[in-house]
Amino acid sequence: MKVSYLLGLGLILVSRMVFADAVRQDSYIAFPSLNKQPNHQEDVLAIYGAVNHQAIEPLFRAYQEKYPNVAIHYTESNTRHLYEQFISLPNVRPDVMLSPAMDLQFKLANDGYALAYNSPELVNVPKGAHWRNELFGFTYEPIVTAINSDILAGDVLPQSREQLLNLIRNKNYLLDDKMGLFNIEQSGLGYLTWAYDGQQSRSYGRLLEAFGRHQARLYTDTSSMLNALLKGQIFIAYNLVGAYSYQWSQKYAWIKTIMPTDYTTIIMRTAFIPRDAQQPTLAKRFIDLLLSPEGQHVLANQSGITPISTKVKGPYSRDELSKLPHGIFRPIPLGLELLIQTDDAKKQLIYHEWDNAMFAEPNNLSQ
Amino acid sequence: MAKATTSIRRQLILMVATVLIFINVLALWSAHVYANRTAKESYDRLLYGSALQMAENINILDARVYIDLPVSAFETLALSTSDRAFYSIMNGQYQVLTGYKDLPNIPFTQLLQQSSEKEKFIPIYYEAMYRDEMVRFVALGKRLLEGDSVNDVFIIVGQTLDARRAAATEISQMALQFVTLFFFITLLLLLFVIWRVLQPLQTIKQAITERSSQELSPLDANVPSEIAPLLKSINYFMAQLDSTLNRLKRFTAEAAHQIRTPLAGLNSQAQNAIDETDEMLRQKQLQHILESSNLLTNTVNQLLSRATLTHRYQSHPFSPVSLDYVIKETCRDLVVWALEREVEIEYVGDIKATINGDEFALKQMLQNIIENAIKYSPKGGVVEVELMIVFEQSVPLIVLQIRDQGVGVSDQDKEHIFEYFYRSPDNFASGSGIGLSIAKDVAEHHDARFHLKDNQPTGLIVEVIFPQRKGLSYES
Repeated sequence: MKVSYLLGLGLILVSRMVFADAVRQDSYIAFPSLNKQPNHQEDVLAIYGAVNHQAIEPLFRAYQEKYPNVAIHYTESNTRHLYEQFISLPNVRPDVMLSPAMDLQFKLANDGYALAYNSPELVNVPKGAHWRNELFGFTYEPIVTAINSDILAGDVLPQSREQLLNLIRNKNYLLDDKMGLFNIEQSGLGYLTWAYDGQQSRSYGRLLEAFGRHQARLYTDTSSMLNALLKGQIFIAYNLVGAYSYQWSQKYAWIKTIMPTDYTTIIMRTAFIPRDAQQPTLAKRFIDLLLSPEGQHVLANQSGITPISTKVKGPYSRDELSKLPHGIFRPIPLGLELLIQTDDAKKQLIYHEWDNAMFAEPNNLSQ
Repeated sequence: MAKATTSIRRQLILMVATVLIFINVLALWSAHVYANRTAKESYDRLLYGSALQMAENINILDARVYIDLPVSAFETLALSTSDRAFYSIMNGQYQVLTGYKDLPNIPFTQLLQQSSEKEKFIPIYYEAMYRDEMVRFVALGKRLLEGDSVNDVFIIVGQTLDARRAAATEISQMALQFVTLFFFITLLLLLFVIWRVLQPLQTIKQAITERSSQELSPLDANVPSEIAPLLKSINYFMAQLDSTLNRLKRFTAEAAHQIRTPLAGLNSQAQNAIDETDEMLRQKQLQHILESSNLLTNTVNQLLSRATLTHRYQSHPFSPVSLDYVIKETCRDLVVWALEREVEIEYVGDIKATINGDEFALKQMLQNIIENAIKYSPKGGVVEVELMIVFEQSVPLIVLQIRDQGVGVSDQDKEHIFEYFYRSPDNFASGSGIGLSIAKDVAEHHDARFHLKDNQPTGLIVEVIFPQRKGLSYES
């Protein structure tokens, strides 16, 4: 009793720390096994993920109910940090990697770091949602824009990128230092969605110019951006993960979440088992659960993350998602196309463009 | 009975199956080769296409190389959905500008050679192990021109082989399915054809089996021209059998009749003799009985001799027979018997002739003819026997003539004289009516012809013409 109480306290402390810290690196959370018998055999499943632990916890619970002897040690981190750590620390690799940065996950799988696993649960998910039985997509999430409606002051809520640009033009100096977006040089997900915008739309260049002119603030993760939005530090947050944004919109009515109607980028969170996983069997069971109707149901009902499966029902199911106003859904394909996002030369070009826009003197930009 | 040989049907099926299997295995093998080549070429093209798209987006500006790889290059690679892909872009100093830094077996020598020859770059394909998997690479050079300076960059794109293997397997499997289907359809068709072709034989067999053993009329079956000769032979054989059988039936009936009549005569004469009280008359009757009994004995002997001859035909092969010697001997044997009837036998002719034949049968024939001639000769008559050579269309033939001076034979009787038990209505001499038939049988057995002519002024000439054939020799 005492031990679990202490652990529970530790959990709370950790989570506080996570939310308080805007530029966090790692946070470590242990979910002890459900078996309360003394001296029982306990296995540890180590999971590294760039998924909010509150969102993923219901899934861990479901796993532990099935396998009560397994403790889960979850390390939550930013997508790029996770990737770099995976490459640089080959001795500290998890049993399962979870991340929405599809390109980085794909690069690891393409480079042969992933274990092939022909999960029997693959039949439950669409065909394009896994690659080579190595990389498994398990969510279907829109990339959205969140707006603090206080800024509108009577204006209509913009629905597309074009309307967003109009709003920025109208509000002009009001939005100086009041817009937020991912720092693409530090967030893998930020880079992925930004580079994908570059492939999709002409408005990309004008958006970049607008963000640069108004000295947009840069963040490394969604939660800190949403916090800044809540506190009024920013009024517009561009390219957020939809799941978190919608949760905040439910809590705080003045925060509006928009799926741009010109096109809505869809990302998949992906999971893979590293080849040198310590507990491949436990990891395979986790993948099975993740893809199973049961696991997908947990996502759609408890995690608030839209699952990849079209069959499950729940408040966050794909059915419900498509009932919200949205544009053409443009899922980022889970395949070799993602290699372009990891190309160094391409990255340098995008960084160069980005740096020019974001860190140049306003005088230079206006020329 | 002939030993059972292999069935035509089984042989045909075996041959057809062997040929089919051989053809199909050949087809499968070529399909496999073709499938591999096709898959390889198609996916090599994709690889090359991807490299070309990358090359197109590499440019030089102010001595700096700008690389802006297009998504389409990777989308092309992504067409093989389950393959890993690797790429690298390097400059002429082996520095990796972007992409994978540790690609294996890069053909620098060839690339640099192409580079130094200042000609168009052609793609170089090669395979190498990379990250524990076999990877197919294409290496392609691109010349970057800026002012007077020339810089070459090299693009290397590689992909694992899953998709090509899958494609090759798919084509091969389709070929396998097709070939299997083809094999069975062809086999079925051929089995049907074989059955159809052999059907007439079955029909003939069926027709023969269904017949009663007595029925020997020709088979009437509709058969193809190849089988027709067989059917014809069978029908010919059956016709022969039929006529033989008929002759045998008639002969048996005649023989029975011929024996029954004298027996009945004997019976009544014996009865009469018992009843006769006059000793003189009884003696006469007994004399009649003896004569009848002799005649009967003679008839039975002739029948036996015929049976003996029939048996000999089947069991005794021919051997060279000196014809003139046999004739002389026969004449000698009969001369005493002839003199008792006051008839002379005269042998004319001085040639020697040898034929292939059965001496016993020939002697029997001669005996019967000469006896017959003596029997119908008047008292004091002469029977002339002559062996001679006659040229018929300049072919020499051995001809035997037996000439008597009896009453001769009417033209009408000449047709029947050789039939069994034929007795001319106006013939009163005693005889069995078998002798000449036997003679004719023997002659036919030796392929000799019988010919009857009238003698001058009166009498009959029996001519036996031996065929010109191997084993026959003569000297004048």
